[in-house]
Amino acid sequence: MKKLFITCIMGLTLLVPFFSPVSAGELGNQLAKESVVEKIQRDKVIRVGMSTFVPWAMKDKHGKLVGFEIDVARQLAKDMGVEVEFVPTAWSGIIPALMTGKFDVIIGGMGITPERNLKVNFTMPYDYSGMSMVAHRKKAEGFSTLDDFNNKDVNIAVRMGTTAEQAARKFFPHANLRLFENESQALQELNLGRVHAVVSSAPMPVFHALKYPDKLFVPLKENFTKEPIGFAIRKGDPDALNYFNNWIVNMHASGFLKEKKAYWFESTEWEDLVK
Amino acid sequence: MSSKPAIRLTLVDLAVLLAAAAGVVLFFVRMTQVLEYQWEWQAIPGYFMFRDPETGRFSANMLLKGFGVTLKLSIWSMVLGFILGTFSGIMGAKGGFFGRMVSRFYVETIRNIPSLVLVILFYYFVSSQFLDALGLDQWVRRLPDPAARGVSFFLAGAGQINAFVSAACALAIYEGAYISEIVRGGINGVSKGQWEAAWSMGLSQAQTFRLVVLPQAFRRTAFPLAGQFISTIKDSAIVSVISVQELTFQGLELMAATFLTFEIWITITLLYFLLTFSLSRTISFFEKRLAIRQ
Repeated sequence: MKKLFITCIMGLTLLVPFFSPVSAGELGNQLAKESVVEKIQRDKVIRVGMSTFVPWAMKDKHGKLVGFEIDVARQLAKDMGVEVEFVPTAWSGIIPALMTGKFDVIIGGMGITPERNLKVNFTMPYDYSGMSMVAHRKKAEGFSTLDDFNNKDVNIAVRMGTTAEQAARKFFPHANLRLFENESQALQELNLGRVHAVVSSAPMPVFHALKYPDKLFVPLKENFTKEPIGFAIRKGDPDALNYFNNWIVNMHASGFLKEKKAYWFESTEWEDLVK
Repeated sequence: MSSKPAIRLTLVDLAVLLAAAAGVVLFFVRMTQVLEYQWEWQAIPGYFMFRDPETGRFSANMLLKGFGVTLKLSIWSMVLGFILGTFSGIMGAKGGFFGRMVSRFYVETIRNIPSLVLVILFYYFVSSQFLDALGLDQWVRRLPDPAARGVSFFLAGAGQINAFVSAACALAIYEGAYISEIVRGGINGVSKGQWEAAWSMGLSQAQTFRLVVLPQAFRRTAFPLAGQFISTIKDSAIVSVISVQELTFQGLELMAATFLTFEIWITITLLYFLLTFSLSRTISFFEKRLAIRQ
C-alpha cells in the first residue's frame, strides 16, 4: 500500500512540468521578451535617467546636454541603433523613478554601493570616481588632514543622497552635515563661508577651487575614496545586464572610455561650452 | 472730466522710498564686497535666446523654454481644475447627501495636504499605475510628424509627456479643490428669492439652476477664479521635483551647470513676477470696468 502511494506521488511529480503554468523554457522566453533591451529595440529609443553633475552631465550654453555621461549614453544608443532620450531627474528621486519605469537605465555617474544594489542592479564599472574636497580658506585655515575636519565645530555641505553624503558620514562622524538638493547650493554655502568644506566627486571640487583661488583651497591632495561607477537598471533583467556589461567591456577595450575621461576630467577645454 | 487727485509725496513716502532703495543697494554691496560674489549678468540673456552659429537663426534657450512650459502647465491644470472644481462645487452646493459628502471629502482632503506631497504621490504611485500603462509616450512617438509637433507644442514631447500630464493632473486636482469652494460659494451666494421667483414663473428645478442661478454664480466667481489662475502659476513651481522642465527646474539645472546662483534666481523671480503681476493688473482693470457697468 505504502509502495503504491509512493509510486503514485512519483508519477504525479513527473507530470508536474506538463501542467505547471510556466515551465523553465517558457520563463526564459518571457524574460527575454520583457527585457528592457527588447523594449529599446521596439521603441527605437533608449530613455536615460541622469542628473546634472559637472562635468558628468550638464547643459551647455545652448541648452544642449554635454558631459562624460552624455557621451557614453550617446555612443551606447548609436551602437544599439536607436535614438537617445535624456530624462533629467532630481538626484534624490532617481532610483524610485527608475523602479517605476520613468526611464530604462540610469547613466548618471552613479556609484555602485551595497545599499543601492539592494534596490537596483548595476553593470560592471565603466569608470572609477573618488571623493574630493574643497574648503574655505578662512574658515578651514590650516586644515590639511581628514581628522582636522572630523570635529563637532566643523560644518560640511554635501548633495543629498549621493555617495559624497555617505563618505562624509563615514569619514567625519563628528562634523555637522548640511544636505542640499543640488551641488550648486552646497557650493554657494561654501562661498558664503557658512560651511567649512564641500565634499563631492572629483574633479569638481578642484575646478571650483581654481575658480575662486582667493577664497577656496583643496585641503587634501589625493581623493580619499575610490568608487566604481556603473549603469543602474531594474532588477530581474539578465539580458539587459549582459548586454550593457559586454558593451562596457568593449568600450574599455577600444579606449573610448579612457579618451572621454581624459577630455572631461583631466582637461578644462570643455569649460567654454558651458559659459 | 474729473481730474485725478495730484500725487503728493509726504515725508513718510520719502522715508519708505529711501529705505527700499537703501535695502537694494545694501544687498548688492554686501554680495559684492563681503561675500565677494562675482556677478556675471552678461551670461543671462544667452539663456533666453541665442543665435545658432550654424543656421544663423534665433532659437529659444532653457529659460524661455521653461517659461513656456510653466505657461502651458498652468493653463492645462487650470482648465482641468476648473472642470473638476465646477462639478465638485455644484455637487457640494446642490447635490444630495451623498454628493455633498463626496465633494466635502475631496475638498477637505486636498486642502489639508501639502501640494508637494500630492505631486510626488501622484507621480510615483498613481501615474506609474495608469499613465505609464496607457503608453502615452509610445503613442506620441509613433505619431506622424505634424501631429507629433502639435502634441509637443500643446503638451510636451514624447520624453516628457508622462511627467507633464501627471503634473498637470496633480495640479488640477489641487487647484480643483479651491475652485470647488469658490463655485460652491458663488452658487450659495445667489439669494433664495431668485429661486422662488423662477419657480413662481413655472421654471423647473433644473431650468432654474441652469438659466437663473449658474449665470449669476459665474459672474460672482469670475474674479476669484482669475485669482486662482495666478495662484496656479505660482504653485506650478513645485512640479520641478518630478523633473517637469518648467521655469524653476530649468533654473536649477542652469545653476547646477554654471554656478550663477544669484543671477539665475533673481531672473526667475522677475519672470514669475512679471507674469503674475501683469495678469493681476489686467484682472483688476476688468473688475473695475465691470463694477461701473453693473
